[in-house]
Amino acid sequence: MARAERIAFVCPRFAESGTVGGAETLLKNLADHAAAAGRSVTFLTTCAQSHFTWENTLPPGRRKVGRLDVEFFPVDENRDIEAFLRVQGAICNNGPLTEADERTWIANSVNSRALYEHLRAQGDQYDRLVMGPYLFGLTWFAAQIHPGKTLLVPCLHDEPFAYLKIMKTLFGQVAGFMFNSEPEQELARRLFDLPESRCRIVGMGMDSFEADPDVFPRRQGLAEPYIIYSGRREPLKGTPLLIDYMRTFRERTGRDVRMVFTGSGPIEPPLELEPYIRDVGFVSEQEKHEAMAGALAFVHPSINESFGIVLLESWLARTPALVHARSEVLRWQCRRSGGGLWFRHYPEFEEELIRLMEDEDLRRRLGASGRAYVEREYAWEAVEKRLLEALDTR
Amino acid sequence: MTEPIFKMDASGVDVEKIVLDIRESVSRKIEEGVYADARVARAERTNLATLRSEDEFLEFYLKCLRDTVFVDINDFEIQERRRGWAPLLVGIKKGLWKLLKFYTYRLWSQQNQINGLLVTAIEGTDRKYDVKIRALEERIRALEAGRDRQQGDGKSG
Repeated sequence: MARAERIAFVCPRFAESGTVGGAETLLKNLADHAAAAGRSVTFLTTCAQSHFTWENTLPPGRRKVGRLDVEFFPVDENRDIEAFLRVQGAICNNGPLTEADERTWIANSVNSRALYEHLRAQGDQYDRLVMGPYLFGLTWFAAQIHPGKTLLVPCLHDEPFAYLKIMKTLFGQVAGFMFNSEPEQELARRLFDLPESRCRIVGMGMDSFEADPDVFPRRQGLAEPYIIYSGRREPLKGTPLLIDYMRTFRERTGRDVRMVFTGSGPIEPPLELEPYIRDVGFVSEQEKHEAMAGALAFVHPSINESFGIVLLESWLARTPALVHARSEVLRWQCRRSGGGLWFRHYPEFEEELIRLMEDEDLRRRLGASGRAYVEREYAWEAVEKRLLEALDTR
Repeated sequence: MTEPIFKMDASGVDVEKIVLDIRESVSRKIEEGVYADARVARAERTNLATLRSEDEFLEFYLKCLRDTVFVDINDFEIQERRRGWAPLLVGIKKGLWKLLKFYTYRLWSQQNQINGLLVTAIEGTDRKYDVKIRALEERIRALEAGRDRQQGDGKSG
């Protein structure tokens, strides 16, 4: 097994603040732990912070962030956004597409010629290139430069983008994969016919914490039980479904259960539900953990997850979870941890939430089970071992 | 044998069984009509794409749709978010609503008729395909049984 000493991580955005997504956080944390294990790590990323505009808001160049050498490259500004959105619309609606359409889409996704040039000119100085997530132009093009030493962290979901022909090319070329979960690995192997030898499940480590369940409700003046959702609020994450379910739950059962949201994005509840929603936006990690600890349940209505960082955080806060059954990954996490239940539709959601409200012992046991699972399977010690094995495998 | 990367939970909480129990209880309640409620149909509007493979649930969803199909043209409580001028604005909105209701009553009545007919048509199509699929399944079973018998005769002969 050849030890990979010099490693470059490549990701469209760098998770310097809490405003980025799970994939960026994952790549940054893996890079950080590879550096802590004594490897020489460089993080190559773009100057963009917003995944809506991809505007170059950070200065280009190299700077030190904690243990990491981070190099920022400008995003290409000559994107044909109209062509990109036209093809993306067709992809999402399963419309007819040629490979040329797919190539138009990826060419007009987020790209950075400056970053590709750096990899072409100086790629030899790295033993390993780790990059993801899969559906960005930056990952797709960067992976073709030195595919023989590229490890993909795809963060793959069962979504229309995964079925594109150009993704078969990407997955067929790279040296190996670091998946977040067994269902994600199974999906990739099914879609791209990957040999087992190229696949590793690594995941992300979670630092355990203690959070007082009384602090957040007291600070917010919340006397009623509440469910919590943390993360981006958008249709792909299922937040409109959660709003619809909670509105119906309150109307049908007459139970005064409130909702707490942390994170970013619009919620847009109906007028009559507004008084029962507490949107605290971006809060510190400590406050988020306290909010989770005080909740009746953490509800994760998304079906597009490859890992579920916030789900694991809620378990560390000893809070049980209710997740959408159509998310293979979230259901897999609940099954293995014994920390949550899953619902297919509203009637099951209603029944499960009532069960958690009425059975405090079950709620407590689910929370404890979830916490024990995260501490056992996602302690950094265990994840770091899997990470270094994946990096050193040729 | 390689050691599994992830271990199964050993804490004693059998979530699989809890979910199965809940599913049984929900199925019973659906049969009893506990969830035949327009609000349930409304709650599922963003979940429909994920329910395509749940045959039983789609049948139940159609029942809920039957309850929610008609446009509500009854009066409702008119509110105003802006604090200043609220009573005046509410008064204006009430006046507007009365006018709207008067002039759109015929339109919405017709729309309700159309919605009702559409649901009936969807239910009819669903039943028709259900019968056809069952007949096809029966035929496949009969053909498979015939083939197995022939293969059995061939071997013994």
